[in-house]
Amino acid sequence: MTTLILFNIFNGLIVGAFYALMALGLSLILNLSGVINFAHGGFLALGGYFAYELMRHGFDYWSALLIAPTLVAVLGLVVERLLIRRIYGRDPLYGLLLTFGLAFVLQDATRYFWTAQSVPYQIPGVLASPLSTQFFFLTGYRLFMIAIVAIAVIGLFLILNRTRLGMRIRAGTLDLDTVSALGVNVRLLRNVNFALGIFLAGLAGVLAAGMLGLQPTIGDSLIMPSFVAIIVGGLGSLPGTLLGGLLIGVASGITTVVFPSATEAVMYVMMGLVLLLRPRGLLGEEGRLQ
Amino acid sequence: MSMKPAFPSMRRRTLLQGIAAIGALQVASPFIIKARADDPIKFGFCDPLTGTYAALGKNEQLGAEYAIDEINAKGGILGRQAQMLVEDSTSGDVGTAVQKTRKLIEKDNCDFILGNVNSAMALALGQTTNELKKLLIVTGGHTDAVTGKDCHWNVFRVCNTTAMETGAIASSLVKNIGKKWYYITADYAFGHTLQSGFENAAGKLGGEKLGADLTPLGTTDFSSYLIKAQAASPDVVIFNLAGDDMVNALKQAVQFGLNSKFALAGAQQELEALEGLPPEARIGSWVVEWYWRQDGVAHLDDFVAGIKKKTGKVPTARTWFGYVAAWTCALAANQEKTLDAIKLAKALEGFKLPPEVALMPNEPTYAAENHQLVGSLFVGEAQASGAVDEDLFKVKEVVAGKNVAPPAGSSGCTLSWPA
Repeated sequence: MTTLILFNIFNGLIVGAFYALMALGLSLILNLSGVINFAHGGFLALGGYFAYELMRHGFDYWSALLIAPTLVAVLGLVVERLLIRRIYGRDPLYGLLLTFGLAFVLQDATRYFWTAQSVPYQIPGVLASPLSTQFFFLTGYRLFMIAIVAIAVIGLFLILNRTRLGMRIRAGTLDLDTVSALGVNVRLLRNVNFALGIFLAGLAGVLAAGMLGLQPTIGDSLIMPSFVAIIVGGLGSLPGTLLGGLLIGVASGITTVVFPSATEAVMYVMMGLVLLLRPRGLLGEEGRLQ
Repeated sequence: MSMKPAFPSMRRRTLLQGIAAIGALQVASPFIIKARADDPIKFGFCDPLTGTYAALGKNEQLGAEYAIDEINAKGGILGRQAQMLVEDSTSGDVGTAVQKTRKLIEKDNCDFILGNVNSAMALALGQTTNELKKLLIVTGGHTDAVTGKDCHWNVFRVCNTTAMETGAIASSLVKNIGKKWYYITADYAFGHTLQSGFENAAGKLGGEKLGADLTPLGTTDFSSYLIKAQAASPDVVIFNLAGDDMVNALKQAVQFGLNSKFALAGAQQELEALEGLPPEARIGSWVVEWYWRQDGVAHLDDFVAGIKKKTGKVPTARTWFGYVAAWTCALAANQEKTLDAIKLAKALEGFKLPPEVALMPNEPTYAAENHQLVGSLFVGEAQASGAVDEDLFKVKEVVAGKNVAPPAGSSGCTLSWPA
């Protein structure tokens, strides 16, 4: 039993890291632009499908891993420029409605181009098998995923903390009006920030498609844990989002051992508890959640 | 505050005269009656076109549409053309499925209803169509109750019951693989009855249940369930899943290398799922309910070629379900020369599908007792690739449905006919 719980805790950390990757993109957009991007799952699916198409057209997995999220990010730039920009500063309901609709559009588009059926998405043979017989859930691919998540998280934190762009994003998160008054092109800043968030969604899509079936709904079931991760971790806090992702992954893993049919429900229970006991989230800033 | 009439310029007398004139036209004018006779016969199709079961629902739609084309090419139904109205039931929202079915019947005046992949929805559609007295052909909801304790006089089912599916493969698993089984089961009607079917079969064959996990519909990460299953050291892990859940679970099991530790199996596999898996994950022992490669089956090649011409892909069991469902209604209506649901239901009891629709051995027939189509089940193994493209299943045994159907009188179905 102890081994089983330990296995599931470790496995939960792997799954949670993946939730965190998606949640970080969502969090970036939410923090700077105030938009809750319900279409994030749609961009995630596109990341997977772009990679699938690239590999079908002769690109190897490693190139697809870079190119597909970049293509999705470019699409994100366009979507922000044409649609999202129009709802900045308005009631959050506008953003919810717009991105909710966009999620359906993206899902139907993927269904139109690639059908509703899963497509056979292959990962490199070198990553395809478990590293040890006993710890069979530690496959090359899952460790590779963790490495990519770690690189993405470190890269994101370096961008935010060591670059002028990151400094502006962080400043904008706190007080966008002042940043604008200081001469920063806020429109461009939000545009780039949105694309960065979407890049992370695309990257999550390429990674998820190697582990799950690639179908138009792949993002649907991943987006809710990501929102929960943000709320549990705390709005406005990227480290909090990371922590939230890991916590819900572990909680789901442990619940499987004792009460398997509640593995999904447990994260909502966690969210409820956090909202009751510490409404700003574990590492969130006071006043962000109103 | 004064209330203004909605149409201030229209006098009450004018309105009454207009209504009377329209009423008179309905009775007096022969061309309106003729127009009604020319109205198409409507099939209402309510199946998942989005969500986990979208691929399965779309293939059922494709099969039904193909049948409608054939029906029209052969003179239609009662001399009228057939038409199909399609509604997305969603994959999991039973309320939506019921609402869409009501709309198909009450607003669109559909004569027949076809659907649904989701077992819970199939049950709900059965109740709704029973209340509205329309014929329902359940295409692909497998839970036993549809033609068991929740059967209705107006409901007929093309796909097999879960008990028939488990009965078809259980003895082969015990004989060829082992008796210690672990279940990973979708947490709703379909999964529950599949598991209970296996448990009943295992009870008779000396099988042992080492454990079972219920997984929510739409689960993506099966790793924690697989960790539990592995810890129990079973001979076989049985996946009572469908749609995208099956793809996710199998893909992860194979990535973990679990297929080298125990056998993977289940009572229901779909070509849609096998096509969505990478070749190395196309493994395991399964039942498919219809397969596009069979020896010596009349008209099969024409059907496969026709679907392939239309879609570029071979038909799946789901395509066949939709095809049979639509043809069932047309054949009964043309035979009885009526659209009356009660007369058609009576005619379908013991109705044998003609070879050009049956497309399988063992003369598929709707059982009079519970309205379940009893034909053949195909037991075999998934394969990475076959002799030809899309040949992803190796049929090892064709099991006659009548050998695995519950004995007469034990289905739990009591049909109650309207007075």
